[in-house]
Amino acid sequence: MKRRLKTLEALKGWSLSGGYLLYTAIFWGYPFVWLIVLAMSKWNFLTPRRFIWFDNFIKLFQDELFWRVFINTFNFMLYFIPMVIGLSLLFALGLKRVKLFRTFFILAFLVANVSSGVAYSIIFQKLFAINGPLNDLTRAIFGVTIPWFSSPQLATLSIAMMVTWKFIGYYGLIIFSGLQAIPDTLYEAAEIDGAGRWTKFFRITVPLLNPSIVMVLVLSLTLTFGIFTEPFLITGGGPMRTTYTFQMLIYTTAFQKINPGYASSLAIVVALLSFGCVILTRKLVEREVELA
Amino acid sequence: MKKLILLLAMIFVSISIIGIELVFWTAPNPLQERFWKETVAEWNANNADIQIKWSTIPAAGSSEEAILTSIASGRMPDICTNIFSGFAAQLIEADILVPLDSFPDFWELIDARKMRPIIEKWKFGRNYYVLPIYSNPIMMWWRMDILESLGYTVPPRTYSEIYEVSQKYSIINERFGTLVVMGRNWWDRWFDFITYYYAASGGAPYLDIEKARALFNNDSGKEVATFVNEMFRNNWTAVDLGSNPFYTGVVLGGIFGPWEINQARSLFPDVFKNIVITPPPVPDSYPEDDPIYTFADTKGLVMFATTKHREAAWKFIKWVYSDIEKDRRWMEMTNLPPAREDLLTNSIFKEYMDENPYFAAYASHVAYAVPPALTTKTVEVQDILTTFLIETIMYGKKDPLAALSDSSTRVRKELF
Repeated sequence: MKRRLKTLEALKGWSLSGGYLLYTAIFWGYPFVWLIVLAMSKWNFLTPRRFIWFDNFIKLFQDELFWRVFINTFNFMLYFIPMVIGLSLLFALGLKRVKLFRTFFILAFLVANVSSGVAYSIIFQKLFAINGPLNDLTRAIFGVTIPWFSSPQLATLSIAMMVTWKFIGYYGLIIFSGLQAIPDTLYEAAEIDGAGRWTKFFRITVPLLNPSIVMVLVLSLTLTFGIFTEPFLITGGGPMRTTYTFQMLIYTTAFQKINPGYASSLAIVVALLSFGCVILTRKLVEREVELA
Repeated sequence: MKKLILLLAMIFVSISIIGIELVFWTAPNPLQERFWKETVAEWNANNADIQIKWSTIPAAGSSEEAILTSIASGRMPDICTNIFSGFAAQLIEADILVPLDSFPDFWELIDARKMRPIIEKWKFGRNYYVLPIYSNPIMMWWRMDILESLGYTVPPRTYSEIYEVSQKYSIINERFGTLVVMGRNWWDRWFDFITYYYAASGGAPYLDIEKARALFNNDSGKEVATFVNEMFRNNWTAVDLGSNPFYTGVVLGGIFGPWEINQARSLFPDVFKNIVITPPPVPDSYPEDDPIYTFADTKGLVMFATTKHREAAWKFIKWVYSDIEKDRRWMEMTNLPPAREDLLTNSIFKEYMDENPYFAAYASHVAYAVPPALTTKTVEVQDILTTFLIETIMYGKKDPLAALSDSSTRVRKELF
């Protein structure tokens, strides 16, 4: 009887998780194994695949373009991460004070997040053009023209601004939920002890927001390694390859230069770099927080 | 047992009746789809023994991506259109295309379609694997209304004439002479450097594929590099000019293909009537009576070596392209010039040319439109031209001739 029950339980378990396991095996496991096989192969889709062990990886670290993109990625991070975290925090703090139409504000900011990357890239391209409305304004007020997408450094900043605009609403909501979880009693106790506005912010809000900030940090780090649409459509990786991203490099290598083996080795290295950055960030920033 | 034999016999008979089925893919373009739908229906109605199963190239990031995926999974079509030269070179090197000149009546078809000089530019090794369908010469558009207001009766032809008109018209960061650089993607080099180079050199090749050499570091290349440099150093051109700078009068001229005609006619009718179409600009020393060559944005048709019915596939291809009426229909439906030299001289096309003078301007240059180099390294070469030639000149990072020499060395290394 006991044995039969056990079998029945096992059957139930397998039937519940079987679908997911099968899905994972087909859509995750198989491509993952194929990625590793491809990374160690020379292939052009057309001729038979040849096993070359680690040659793609050796070539990768000698590739001038790989290192250019590596620098671009960290350059982008320097602009994007402080900007998106700072503005998302401001959005969350503002949202906490807003009592009326809060849902409207949330939805207004989330619209950017659900917008089509292609559509808003075209809009920003026109907005930031040499003869676009933004430059018309700066010329009228300050008499200067800003080469948003034409200057090598500014192009990276411009794309960071676009991506920040897209993610403020989403990241802001994550921080907002962290803010909501901080008990008011903590602030009241601090006020009794004579703490000012800034003391409360830096001693209570920021430390207790650590889990939310770490989450936003991890999400924005992984996003940095995944940027594709905006530079692909607007700058094509230029000027002087300064906005070329890893995803663009992987895509062009696989489907335009027809070298999927090398593209796979790139994908593996980029994934490892991304994981490395996430682990390092968590080690440096993450703190244990107890609200109870 | 008897029933089984009867069933097998019925299957055999139905297969025999159905005959050959050829899978045929064409470009995912609504105008071209209309043409092929009509043409394939006509063929299928009259050829019960060879049926064409037509569809557009499956949806993907690009046609090349879809075709590569089909090859990798062994599900490629028998015949496919929309093949550009670089991709064709890759397919040829992989030995998966049928050399079309292996069919005994290949040259008969080429002569019937008046395309012998055009097909010569598609030779790979000793064979011809691609049948060019259409050839879009890339031409220069000018705003004649603005030019007239500046006191000109004819659009500029040479670099010096462009400098002169640009100097008159340009206001820094507001108005510019012409669009010189078409963008920063690798494919944009087809429409600027390679177009200017063909114009300056009388259609000379920019790469020697067999000897793995870059040929553009010569007098013509130097003229082009100097022209691009002059335009940028004097603020007579710019990139990132927002939407439709030509139609809004931000620039006086720009490089366009014939696909722009319909858009201009429907979206900017007031500007449309003031457009004049000319060949790309040439150096001052270019002889006035010589024809001006340009880049051909051209796509062709290939037959995959995996097809089990080569003769049937060739029969279909020959049927389509030996009929001049079909080229006329193609032109009327797609507004793309068929790859043939007699567009202006053959009376069949006359009515359409008379009604569409802008299209006729393009058709007049089909014979002087040169396709890009048949190299498997198209992306790599044009990436180098973008970063180490065009952008280097745009940002004034190097002397234009030094940039030309550097990019030429890099291209040679890439080809080698």
